Amino acid sequence: MNDIVSTMEPTPLSHVTVGDTAVNASTEAPVKIATRGLNFFYGSAQSLKNIQLTVAEKRVTALIGPSGCGKSTLVRVFNRIYAIYPKQRAEGEVLLDGVNVLDPRFSINRLRTKVGMVFQKPVPFPMSIYDNVAYAIRHYERLSKTEMDARVECALRSAAIWEEVKDKLNHSALGLSGGQQQRLCIARAVALKPEVLLLDEPTSALDPISTAKVEQLIDDLKAHYTLLIVTHNMQQAARVSDFTGFMFLGELVEFGMTKNIFTKPTKKQTEDYITGRFG
Amino acid sequence: MNELAQWRRRQLTDALARTLATIATLFGLFWLVWILWTTLSKGLPALKWALFTQMTPPPGMDGGLLNAFLGSIIMSGLAILMGTPIGIAAGTYLSEYARHTKLGGTIRFVNDILLSAPSIIIGLFVYEVMVRPMGHFSALAGAIALSFIVLPVVVRTTDEMLQLVPSTMREAALALGVPQWKVVRQVLYRAALAGIITGVLLALARISGETAPLLFTALNNQYLTTKLTEPMANVPVVIFQYAMSPYEFWHALAWAGAFVVTMFVLVLGLVSRGVLLRTSEYR
Amino acid sequence: MSQSQGLEIDALFHPDGMEGRDHRNDHVFRVAVLACALFVLIALLGAALSMLWGAREAFATFGWPFIWSTDWDAVQKKFGALVPIYGTLVTATIAMIIAVPVSFGIALFLTEIAPAWMRRPVSAAIELLAGIPSIIYGMWGLFVFVPFMSSHVDPWLDEHIGPLPFIGKLFKGAPIGLGMLSAGIVLGIMVIPFISAVTREVFTTVPVQLKESAYAVGNTTWEVVWDVVLPYTRSAVVGGIFLGLGRALGETMAVTFVLGNAHLLSPSLLEPGNSIAATIANEFTEADSPIYLSSLIALGFLLFIVTFIVLAVARLMLSRLARREGAVT
Repeated sequence: MNDIVSTMEPTPLSHVTVGDTAVNASTEAPVKIATRGLNFFYGSAQSLKNIQLTVAEKRVTALIGPSGCGKSTLVRVFNRIYAIYPKQRAEGEVLLDGVNVLDPRFSINRLRTKVGMVFQKPVPFPMSIYDNVAYAIRHYERLSKTEMDARVECALRSAAIWEEVKDKLNHSALGLSGGQQQRLCIARAVALKPEVLLLDEPTSALDPISTAKVEQLIDDLKAHYTLLIVTHNMQQAARVSDFTGFMFLGELVEFGMTKNIFTKPTKKQTEDYITGRFG
Repeated sequence: MNELAQWRRRQLTDALARTLATIATLFGLFWLVWILWTTLSKGLPALKWALFTQMTPPPGMDGGLLNAFLGSIIMSGLAILMGTPIGIAAGTYLSEYARHTKLGGTIRFVNDILLSAPSIIIGLFVYEVMVRPMGHFSALAGAIALSFIVLPVVVRTTDEMLQLVPSTMREAALALGVPQWKVVRQVLYRAALAGIITGVLLALARISGETAPLLFTALNNQYLTTKLTEPMANVPVVIFQYAMSPYEFWHALAWAGAFVVTMFVLVLGLVSRGVLLRTSEYR
Repeated sequence: MSQSQGLEIDALFHPDGMEGRDHRNDHVFRVAVLACALFVLIALLGAALSMLWGAREAFATFGWPFIWSTDWDAVQKKFGALVPIYGTLVTATIAMIIAVPVSFGIALFLTEIAPAWMRRPVSAAIELLAGIPSIIYGMWGLFVFVPFMSSHVDPWLDEHIGPLPFIGKLFKGAPIGLGMLSAGIVLGIMVIPFISAVTREVFTTVPVQLKESAYAVGNTTWEVVWDVVLPYTRSAVVGGIFLGLGRALGETMAVTFVLGNAHLLSPSLLEPGNSIAATIANEFTEADSPIYLSSLIALGFLLFIVTFIVLAVARLMLSRLARREGAVT
């Protein structure tokens, strides 16, 4: 499905073609993340089978599929958030800019500063809006008050929420509406200037207006970040993503440019799912 | 006809059960009202300023409960100071590191037993371990005995409250690359704060009325003292001794003390309920 | 090597860098909270061992017969546990006879019968009973309840039930008010809120659909409770009862005031007696010989063993239901 140079040292993954063969030159994009032989287990049950996925840099890649297909599981491998649960483990390799992040020698916390995550349910910390955004920055960097203010403002602007909260930065984040809280969580995630953003069904708990705002945001964010979004809403995937992967029962069934997946899928399962024959 | 009779019988049984249940509830409430009324009617008249300004009197004389109140405040305060940090830490371990492990299960089991165990046993324990070697009763021993009663309450509430924090919050904080100990201290404790405070208030309410553990540790003191190595007066033991005595004015003092303690415990209960309610508006 | 921004080789774990410090702090934190958690275990173990140590002289001197001897002589230095054990068991039994049906009734009332607006205040009121310190129960018992018993209830019992065969022996005696019946009743009232709180909580875990489908086929409230709710919650209800029993066995102050503190072994409930906790509370400061003290501590140790077993059983029964619900035990 894709060509990745496999070595143990970091290697530039330059200009590898992402997607399947029927693709033309203008869609070439450097590969940011590539998985090789990725398997995942909950205890003894295997939930991901030999995943070979490539995620293009500074593009939006969507993962779709019916419930239980493993798309959330897959995305949660990329920042190793599964590691806090003792019964869950991953085998294989996940190469971020050519370096295997599943290597036990790899610093998990450092990984998480490179790969940020936004969850399905907006979960602001029980502190002020300002403190929410500044939280991780404070751990990693020593900034003066003015510098921190600037960083917080920049993050809130990137999440398109600055105008709404600039006068109440010291208010509790819990007082915001659902859509605003989710955008705050996005601001929090980009505050550390990661390179990759993982979004696990970011709008499924939001109303349509907030959903539209977040989708617009995703479009703006891809100028700076690589985005990987999990969604159970096919139309959303068609709207926002450049590449789409269809998963079923723990396998990556098909992967390609979004417009191709939705107009001329090559696998029957993909076609069945997209046309709504099962879901 | 048979069916009708059967249906009638079932309705009758149901009505009987409902009536009995209502009577049972009234029965319970009846005792509550009687006891509270007694405390109020005997305690209120005995309230006077001298209660808070004079010390416990020798037999035959009038006085107050100043040294007892002070002693109780000191020892309860110490007990909370000692028991709360250890309790919160233990509860943190159970919730964050041992939710489904065997060790966690064992500790929770033992904690529950400690929670419901007769407090007289705690008194005997601290007697053996502190009073005997020291050779005399002391306020410190009393405070330590009380802290063993505080401990399991705080452990249990901290464990339960931390578990109530949704796992997404944990994940969201960890996903920012912040180390676990900071996540626990800065995010989780904040999220569970109301519940943990309630646990501490509950523990305080509980030790305010405990007599048995103090009988063998701090005992009593006729005078006002703040020295922790000496026996110290406290309200429950004073009530005990005065109530069992034959002197009328000592009985009155005992009722006054009982009234103050009851009011304190009731107010604490209301406050802790208020704490929980106020922060549930938060979400 | 790699020119792409972000990942250089030093992203690999460096023990001296920030990751190393974070890792060490995490480790220290974990060890600290583990130590505090282990302290809970040590506390219980310490309590058991220290009492055993304090009781060793009594056990060594009297041996097993300590448990069934009725001696209690400070002068001759002979002590036995039977009278306090008997008093503890009898008062606890009376308490449970009162508390169990009443608690069950209250739980039934609060879950199925009371209108919604009544539930919070009434259950709060019942919980208030649990919050009242035991010494208040003792004082109320001594100054109000005992005189009431001695002037109204005891004489009636002595006169009307006393002469009856068999059970009459239970109710014969001078109407002094202090005694096992009074103590048992006060204990029962104290224990009601504990059992009813557990029972009520457990009743509410029954899935609504289960109850609704039973109602839908025409069952009465009582039938739903008897045939659906109780079987579902059976072991937890028993657990709650054992919890109440554990409290009743160990209660000190309320019983001390009302039991009479007489070293008497009598079949009559109207007679004063003694319980383990009351004996220890009353005589501890007066114990003038080491064997006396050791015997009191030995009593405490026996109480500890009994309540430990009762509470362990309670916990086991309660976690059976919790496990079924999928909760963490």
